[in-house]
Amino acid sequence: MKLLALIKKEFRRFFGDPKLIIAMLLPGILIYVIYSLIGTATAESKHYDFKVYLQGTSQATELVEASVEQSGWTLEFIALEAGEEAQQAALAAVKEGKATAILSFSENFDGALGNEPLPAVRLEYDAGSEEGGAFAALLSAVLQTYEQNFTFTPLPFGEDEAVKNVMAGLLPFLIVVFVFSACMSVTLESVAGEKERGTLATILVTSARRSHIALGKVLPLSCVSLIGAASSFLGVMLSMPRLMGISMGAAVAGVGAVGYVLIFLLIVSFVPLIVGAIAVISTLSRSVKEASGYTGAAMIVMMLLSLAATFVSGLGGWVVAVPILNAVTGIQGVLSGSTVLWQCLVSVAVNLAYTALLVLLMARLLSSERVMFGK
Amino acid sequence: MQETDMQQPFFNGGDEIVRAEGLRKTFTLSKKQRQLERTSITRKVAVDGLSFTAQRGEIYGLLGPNGAGKTTTLRMLSTLIKPDAGDAFVCGYSVCKQPHKVRDHIGFMTSELKLEGFFTPSYLFDFFGQMHGVERETLARRKRELFSRFGIDRFAEVKVKDLSTGMLQKVSLVISIVHDPDVVIFDEPTNGLDVLTAKVVTDFLLELKSMGKSILLSTHIFSLVEKLCDRVGIIIDGRMVADGTLDVVCGGMSLEERFFTVYHAVKGEIV
Repeated sequence: MKLLALIKKEFRRFFGDPKLIIAMLLPGILIYVIYSLIGTATAESKHYDFKVYLQGTSQATELVEASVEQSGWTLEFIALEAGEEAQQAALAAVKEGKATAILSFSENFDGALGNEPLPAVRLEYDAGSEEGGAFAALLSAVLQTYEQNFTFTPLPFGEDEAVKNVMAGLLPFLIVVFVFSACMSVTLESVAGEKERGTLATILVTSARRSHIALGKVLPLSCVSLIGAASSFLGVMLSMPRLMGISMGAAVAGVGAVGYVLIFLLIVSFVPLIVGAIAVISTLSRSVKEASGYTGAAMIVMMLLSLAATFVSGLGGWVVAVPILNAVTGIQGVLSGSTVLWQCLVSVAVNLAYTALLVLLMARLLSSERVMFGK
Repeated sequence: MQETDMQQPFFNGGDEIVRAEGLRKTFTLSKKQRQLERTSITRKVAVDGLSFTAQRGEIYGLLGPNGAGKTTTLRMLSTLIKPDAGDAFVCGYSVCKQPHKVRDHIGFMTSELKLEGFFTPSYLFDFFGQMHGVERETLARRKRELFSRFGIDRFAEVKVKDLSTGMLQKVSLVISIVHDPDVVIFDEPTNGLDVLTAKVVTDFLLELKSMGKSILLSTHIFSLVEKLCDRVGIIIDGRMVADGTLDVVCGGMSLEERFFTVYHAVKGEIV
């Protein structure tokens, strides 16, 4: 009953204050807006010189040329001869980045429009190249102006790898930063703030156990932080395709449902760990200002660790026993498709075990008169 | 020097509610504190073998100058800090060995303990009631009675940060006794309060006494002790130098005269 009352109080404090809710959700919204704008601005400012192998003919090519010209870019069509050898050579050129794509129209495309069998357009391009993605988007926009029925088959290759590499490199670091920021904003105020204002001491005079008081902080603050972390995470996930110039479908398919569940589990285990660590720092500090200083330093250490884990490969299985590193490498592994299930689950268990230790440590600190009432 | 020793075997006949036995507390002085106090010693004795007894249904006052050890004594009795030596018993429970039991039986009020401004008096009353394990129905009844008795009911749903100082003090007092404790401990109850709010507090203490509560307070204000207390203990430099009923301690003098006589005898001079 006492633990429940403590938990409810923290929730009431947070959800009763619209400013706190906005402050928690705002980073995610800002990330989405800013990243999307950067993505759009980057795409707009790019200049492309498309070099496209063309097989078959259609008036659509003229529309594509007009559209390219309108964008201030250039386009050179190279007639692709029939035959397997020529096809392979063209494909190799696209893969090597010497050409943008291979565009194929079925025989008598314009004349067959609206008739059965439906005429077809096919586009092969390297999804990892920005130029390929931009041409596919442009062609798709041009073909949408046709009223008659036909089939359009974009055939991107190498998309999964491109997505995975970018996401695996960037996301774990961003997640750590966002999770830490979310945890910091609520925990500092709730623990160091209450200690500084003397409201925590008022609770200590009651017969509630110190362990309940510690758990009554870490548990609800973790839930609240998770909302903030989820907001930031969603902001990144939704804006990433725009930033990278790929489709949302490709981004989601690159990670997979199981991957997202594992990432979510790692974050869920990671959040209470961070909240617990900040709660301990806040309990040890005499004021919010002092706690902010220590937590800021801790955040820099975490950022460096997550960056190191991002760039250093082959850290070995021992990493699962190290908090922060296990989450970063776990998320990184899920995104790049190299982490197995047990590694993630062990990391989750390890993080929760460390959280329990931090709660016990906080309970001990709450019992320490030197910590709580020392001048 | 202990002029009047009122110590009796604990709970003999059920009149004693608080008994302190040789309480001692020392603190480490930081470099800054040593500089401020112009001393080279690293440990300061705040309370030095303090013993006294408070009776059920009475108001006991700990009187002494600033830094005498009053607050430290009350903090030990309220289990916020632990004595280095000695022990104290509240309602028969040891502050060293049974702090949870002690906390169940005391209400502690000090300016250092604050209420969160975001919440309302009504919510905080319920919250602290739950923290003390008070039953829901009892809590509702006590809230109704106490809020009505102290005129808080009209401000029950106003955020604490928006209350006047006097009303805030009333709310703090009421919340400190949410669990109907046997012993109410107040550290400098009127310190820093204006005359109106101070009157609210003194009236409240007398009200609590009339309700059969035992009260332990610390103060350096002679008139407050004379007005409220049945017994008084004079503390100087962490030691109990006089202890007993007001009449016995004063010995025909005013409390102020008696205090300075004792102070002169102990310290040799009055600065």
